[in-house]
Amino acid sequence: MPETVCCVCGDPGTKTIGPRWFCEKHFQSATHERPHTWRSSILLVAGLVVFVGVVYALDLVLKPVWVGTELIVAGVFLALIPAIIWMGFFYIQDRLEPEPKGYILGVFLLGAIMAAAVGIPLVDNFFQVSKWIYTDTAATILGSILVVGFIQEFLKYASVRYSVYLTPEFDEATDGIIYATAAGLGYATVLNIQFVIASGGAALGSSVIRMVVVALAQASFAGITGYFLGRARFEHKPWWWMAAGLSLAAVGNGLFNWLRGLVVQGGISLTGASANPWMGLVLAAVVALVTLGLILWLIRRNTRTALAEK
Amino acid sequence: MTATTIPTKTNSTSQRFADWAVIGITVVALLAGYLFKNSVESRSVPFTVSGISAQTPQGWLLNTAQGNQILHVTDPLSSGFGTTYTIENNPIAPDATMDQVVGLLILDRGQSLNSFRVLEQKKVTVSGRAAYEIGYVYVESNPNLTHNDIPNIVRGLDYIFLNGDHAIVATYWADENAFSSDLGRFQQFLGSLKF
Repeated sequence: MPETVCCVCGDPGTKTIGPRWFCEKHFQSATHERPHTWRSSILLVAGLVVFVGVVYALDLVLKPVWVGTELIVAGVFLALIPAIIWMGFFYIQDRLEPEPKGYILGVFLLGAIMAAAVGIPLVDNFFQVSKWIYTDTAATILGSILVVGFIQEFLKYASVRYSVYLTPEFDEATDGIIYATAAGLGYATVLNIQFVIASGGAALGSSVIRMVVVALAQASFAGITGYFLGRARFEHKPWWWMAAGLSLAAVGNGLFNWLRGLVVQGGISLTGASANPWMGLVLAAVVALVTLGLILWLIRRNTRTALAEK
Repeated sequence: MTATTIPTKTNSTSQRFADWAVIGITVVALLAGYLFKNSVESRSVPFTVSGISAQTPQGWLLNTAQGNQILHVTDPLSSGFGTTYTIENNPIAPDATMDQVVGLLILDRGQSLNSFRVLEQKKVTVSGRAAYEIGYVYVESNPNLTHNDIPNIVRGLDYIFLNGDHAIVATYWADENAFSSDLGRFQQFLGSLKF
């Protein structure tokens, strides 16, 4: 008779969830509800909004006159803040149920490297998205989904799937969200640094809003990819499950880009053009809370259903 | 409970299918995106003046034609120097040779463009018509001294066609960083030129 083994570590299995066997240790991990993940997500969104408010207020009060290198250094520093805030909250929240910090940092760096080495060159140089994507609404939506969305979500998926996914540390469905969020924030950090360098520095007030919007969006849609990754790891899912998850994340990513363009868009008057970046921040915060809340609720419901069936 | 073999790692057949499905859907999406990009970029609007017609890119800014120009369009989404196509319809003596026309055009470019340098010139055939190609570079600088912009290095291509007592010149100007990537679209425009 074939041996029954834990689907995480390969040790002899003692319990099952659905058709998959687990050893005692990994059964506890797989059925454990991690409220800290939800708290970290809420704190990330709240922390980033507070961060925007503080930097914006400082910019208004101090009116720093920075040029050249000073502006670029300040911008790069600001670009790193969203990831630092999330990792800080995560570290505090994760003391009792720790994920290896080295793995989290590694996936973050992998997401950043993927963005710098593959994502940005593909989007900007090969597809030259900025030259055609704003031609009309259809081009904006389809270009954002088919090119930008799929490239970004695939690279975040690859950062997790081909690194920590097969390790024993990836021992519960929620880990998919945690590691994918780390990859998403790595991707967002490089996008923001690229924005700072390309624009020769970042005006503190307006740029910090853009940076936080990018970070929240990348983290949210990475969370969707991570949800599908996590469930695929611990449940028998059909072959199309992960592809469908990635597509969903890419569609969300693309629609968000289009919507953000709509809500941020101001008007053109005799005194000049105007835009409303704060609306983009509100949209990003709502999307992040709804998306992360929904996927964490789905994971919790799924765990409870599996245990009830058992 | 019936004991079954559960794959401990994700190298099972179903996992491999799942991995390939992800790669497959991404490749399909990117291919579709590439085709869509090409269809957006090849959208054009017809242009006809004095028996000369062409398909100009849709969404480009139509500038006021100067001198013998009959068309002057610029891509509003290009960074640095705006990618520009022009068509000139220059009157020439009926017995003027291609070499004379090319010489005069180079002289004119040298006088009107800053730091003008010819990079290459050769006889070519465009859509079955004999033509002459001149590749060059110049510096575009805002003449307003109060502007603190860095001048742009612009690459240019002129295609000269003799048409009886006129020389038709189709010109492509682009920022040196965008010259190669935007060239394909200009070739489409050049291919659509009819007179």
